[in-house]
Amino acid sequence: MRSRAGKIDATLVWLSLPLLLVVLAAVLAPWLAPASPTATDLSASLRAPSAEHWLGTDQLGRDQLSRLVWAAHTSMTITAVVLAIAFTVGVLLGALGAYLGGVADRAVTWLIELALSLPSMLLALAVLGIRGNTTGNLILALSLFAWAPYARVARGAVLGYRASDASAALVGLGLHPARIVVRHVVPVAARPALVFASTDIGAVVMATAGLSFLGLGVAPPTPEWGQMLVESRPYLATAWWLFLPPGLAVTLVAFSSNLVSEHLGIPPELRRWWVRTPRRRRPAPVSVDRDDDVLLRARDLTVRFATPAGTTTAVDGVGYDVRPGEIVAVVGESGSGKTTSLLGPLGLLGRAAQVEGSVTLDGTQLVGADRRTSRSVRGRQVGVVFQDPSAALNPLRTIGSMVIEALPRAVPRTHRRARVVELLRDVGLPDPEQVAGRYPHELSGGMRQRALIATALAGEPRLLVADEPTTALDVTVQAEILTLLSDLARRDGLGLLLVSHDLAVVAEIADRVLVMYGGRVVETGPVSLLDDPRHPYTRGLRDAVPMLGRAVGTRFVTIADDEPVTADGCAFAPRCPARDSVCLRGNVPLRDVRPTHLVACVRTEAVVASC
Amino acid sequence: MGKVVARHLVSAVAVLLVVTFATFLLLRSTPGNTATSIAVRQAGPGASQEQVDRLHAELRLDSSLPVQYGVWLGRAVQGDLGRSDRSGRTVTDEIAAKAPRTLFLGLGAAVIALVVGFGAGVLSAVDRRGGLAAALRVGALAAVSIPTFWMSFLLIVLLSEQLRWLPTSGDRGFASWIMPWVVLALPAAGAISRVVSVSLTETMSRQHVTAARARGAPGWSVVLRDGLPHAAGATLNVTAMHVGMLLTGSVIVETVFAWPGLGAWFVDSVKFRDNGAVLGGVLVFALAFILITRGIDVVQKITDPRLRKAEVGA
Repeated sequence: MRSRAGKIDATLVWLSLPLLLVVLAAVLAPWLAPASPTATDLSASLRAPSAEHWLGTDQLGRDQLSRLVWAAHTSMTITAVVLAIAFTVGVLLGALGAYLGGVADRAVTWLIELALSLPSMLLALAVLGIRGNTTGNLILALSLFAWAPYARVARGAVLGYRASDASAALVGLGLHPARIVVRHVVPVAARPALVFASTDIGAVVMATAGLSFLGLGVAPPTPEWGQMLVESRPYLATAWWLFLPPGLAVTLVAFSSNLVSEHLGIPPELRRWWVRTPRRRRPAPVSVDRDDDVLLRARDLTVRFATPAGTTTAVDGVGYDVRPGEIVAVVGESGSGKTTSLLGPLGLLGRAAQVEGSVTLDGTQLVGADRRTSRSVRGRQVGVVFQDPSAALNPLRTIGSMVIEALPRAVPRTHRRARVVELLRDVGLPDPEQVAGRYPHELSGGMRQRALIATALAGEPRLLVADEPTTALDVTVQAEILTLLSDLARRDGLGLLLVSHDLAVVAEIADRVLVMYGGRVVETGPVSLLDDPRHPYTRGLRDAVPMLGRAVGTRFVTIADDEPVTADGCAFAPRCPARDSVCLRGNVPLRDVRPTHLVACVRTEAVVASC
Repeated sequence: MGKVVARHLVSAVAVLLVVTFATFLLLRSTPGNTATSIAVRQAGPGASQEQVDRLHAELRLDSSLPVQYGVWLGRAVQGDLGRSDRSGRTVTDEIAAKAPRTLFLGLGAAVIALVVGFGAGVLSAVDRRGGLAAALRVGALAAVSIPTFWMSFLLIVLLSEQLRWLPTSGDRGFASWIMPWVVLALPAAGAISRVVSVSLTETMSRQHVTAARARGAPGWSVVLRDGLPHAAGATLNVTAMHVGMLLTGSVIVETVFAWPGLGAWFVDSVKFRDNGAVLGGVLVFALAFILITRGIDVVQKITDPRLRKAEVGA
């Protein structure tokens, strides 16, 4: 019940509590049961629960509570033996198969497949019917198939282990194979199988009860829940105390076991039973001066993510403007909040993201907008081009069906086909009629990105957001795609917000540039600022890029690698070559160094002088 | 494509051979099954000594067990599964008479399990606040955990004894079908909904779903066209397994509700140690189970465009 860190998983303890209680009752049955489970008293038959018989008596006058507790004893004993057999046989077979490989492994795999591809309960039924329903035969019939999942789990674990370095090292040490198997291979196989066993209890208890219910499991007079149930059948209408408790007992064991199984089956970080989404605060309206010239305006944009460990701030008070026909590039390293600041206001980040601040598109507030507003914006007014077209296109749909979906409603049905072809031609796809009927896997990477651009343009948006649109592509087509994007934006007078870490490209096609670090904008201004950056981080970025035309022998300067901190002060300070004690005091606001060129650095002068 | 079908076919036949041979050995190793008694029972009631002798020779009951199995197999392939000791009718006739009712029960339950399972799974994956999702999750696990026979009792007490809405048992019209269908479907529905929910939740976080939402596709369309087809692909195997498990459930449900199908017939045959019927039942159930669980694999290979034609574009 301990996680790897040694911390007890409290939820797991709670979920398995009913199971543990039943096991306890089973072990303590001789002391817990008030009477003998088989002592009949026909003068006291079918008595309702009373102080004398807490759960009443059955048709033969036997004490129901005693029978219930002893049934737990029966059920748990059978389950324990079956699981022990299944576990031992399964782990040994699976581990040996995987360890030996070759014919042995093929034989084991075939046996596992065989056992798993048959209706196990029905065959167990046949075995019991033919051989007679003794406890021994019941255990045999259940074990006959129960071992297979253990073998599969064990085999998988050992195969993984064999591929690891640890295994190679043991062979290298010259240990005897038998020793390796016993000391190293079996434990590797046993661990995941043990987890499976803890969740298999419910299945075995349920199977035992089912077979007994059919009269082929535990034979009377030994009490068992399924058998108690079938005996209660004639008294369904009259004696509720006969059929409720045994059924409840089986359900409790199975439910607890299934909860544990569900809990263990999912990765630890997702194990919460419900996601507590923070109530969506309607953000306080940020007063935004309306500017008819601006298409997209962000002010104080902040995006936080609720994680099990707490809230992390991915974007912190970012602001920018995009005008029609303008290309704005957002640069910065991975994790600097570039993508998040673009997708957040469009409601594309999933439920864990909290977006605050103000982002207006043509005066329409996007932050905290209702579903209808944000859907009317997505696709219709803003088109998005994603980083990896193979991931962003649905592999099970044709290119045409995805482009059609993005067309404005106003396009009449009869014209849709023609419009799709036109769009595909616009993005430079050869033979667009044919491409429309193709699936993404039938196209090359560059063609896929062109197709994705066509879906982004189909809604006739006014703003195009491109999130590192060339990162996943071959170097040879990267330039083509960027040229295509900037050409299309200029042709239709679209605003283009382009995330990139390719400074050379940015310098070539962008009008303005936004440099982000640690979720904040550290420098922004016309693209010419890249020639003379004032922020040490921008300088670092520029100097780390190899560019054609630099003098031979110019050294790349790399930025010192350190965790960015978002505590007080400048986030870049820990990695900054020009840092000073003032850098860590208070927030560092953006300030003008030239008109329209803003920098968030208190040591700009020193930076310019030093680098 | 043809390769996939062929591979499944070979392995399915191998599985059937193994399981029937094992059952055959098990049956013949039980005391009381002497060659003479088998011949007498197989000849049917009121048969003459001549007929018994002829059958004794035909079934080669004096030969080794593998040879006898070979004889059984040879006849089984031609549709002759021998005679039921209990009823005296041929096993093939018995199965032909009972199978349609089990198919009817199973199909009804499969439809309910698929509709409810997928419905609840999708709802629990798309629920944004999480309250409904948590409730559906616990509900699904409860549905899986309540034993079929107890659920039947609870419903019989409530709907038949207390409210007198539905008949307690039998196969007489729609009212008598409701409880068997629902009880049989419930565990499968719960299991399917969990798998669908987990798989769809994972799919909905994929990039192509975000991309579909980014181009303005309405929510239901994103779930149906971009989420579910992928989630379904991953869930088909498990779904098929649970539909196959309906066969197991049908044994209990038919017994509880006195349903005139294969499941109850099989239990009775097993209890009676009716050799021919048990062997025939094992064959039919194993065959049906394999058809359901492996058929899906083939269907999946046919419907996925990536596997259907693997052309490489320029």
